[in-house]
Amino acid sequence: MFGSHKTSHSDPAHTPSASTRKSSGLDQVFSSFPPNESQSILDMSGASQANISFITGLGHRLSSDDVIGTMEQCFGTDFLAGQQAAANAQRFLDQTLRFHDDSFDVALVWDALQFLAPPLIDQVIGELLRVVKPGGLMLVFFNADEHASRIPVYNYRIQDQKNLMQVSRSALQRSQFFPNRTVERLFEKAASLKFFLTRDSLREVIVRR
Amino acid sequence: MTLKGQIFAREDLTIDGEVEGTVECHEHRLTIGPNARVQASLKAREIVIHGSIQGNVEAADKIDIKKEAKLVGDIKTSRIVIEDGAYFKGSIDISKSAVPPRPAPAGANQTANSPAPVAAVAASAPSVTK
Repeated sequence: MFGSHKTSHSDPAHTPSASTRKSSGLDQVFSSFPPNESQSILDMSGASQANISFITGLGHRLSSDDVIGTMEQCFGTDFLAGQQAAANAQRFLDQTLRFHDDSFDVALVWDALQFLAPPLIDQVIGELLRVVKPGGLMLVFFNADEHASRIPVYNYRIQDQKNLMQVSRSALQRSQFFPNRTVERLFEKAASLKFFLTRDSLREVIVRR
Repeated sequence: MTLKGQIFAREDLTIDGEVEGTVECHEHRLTIGPNARVQASLKAREIVIHGSIQGNVEAADKIDIKKEAKLVGDIKTSRIVIEDGAYFKGSIDISKSAVPPRPAPAGANQTANSPAPVAAVAASAPSVTK
């Protein structure tokens, strides 16, 4: 729960780095699985050997959707400015979460939502609630530093059920600060939310559809 | 030039151009080269991906996705190796079924370890468009 955090989240100059941290949210998600039952899991951090090996090694089915990568393709280097163009926003929606209803038991959303502004963030959350099964879980991260404007963008690599490696891929301006109230409003159609306080700059949230 | 059609290979195969359709290379290795743009479903014993694929990929033994690769489609295999930087969107189905044995050593006129060009192994006449 109190992990080590080596990178400076408020440093505007991106310095590629990797650090490990404990994740109570990840632990609780994987602990919630019924025994001997294969789960369908969506990883929105882009495909990685670590996540593939961990998840499929447990006998679960994995789907991958690199949402940050899709943002880069559709919005360019300035996500906030790029998504203001309706054509870019629509192109992003056309490529993101193109799955059938109720496809997944779990969606590992990680921190991607921080870089989407309304109305796009509401549309993506609507899609998440559509593709996750009723009762399914979403693990969502938000940077907890109220004063940071540019924040690191990470790839999340699962080391084991309790530990994540954060590999920074860039530093970007987030759309807004996400206090608990804002997160609750964004997921108001969900059945429940559970917040995890951590000592580092990340707030972890488990959303149950 | 785009090769369209069904490709069946009886030896290791490398594709480094544009292909549409299906490619089957049972019991052999299929390599998708860095210049390849493939819109096809692929089946082989082992598949190594350097280029771009839109389609489902099935390998009885292993799928190896290199860092410059781009794959949009579903994967079915016993083992997967993916390098950091590779782009993949789709589902992964790991089947723990036994790996089929490698074929017996090739005869005098076959070089099982030498990838053959696409055009040499097409069993059905593909339509070629420029």
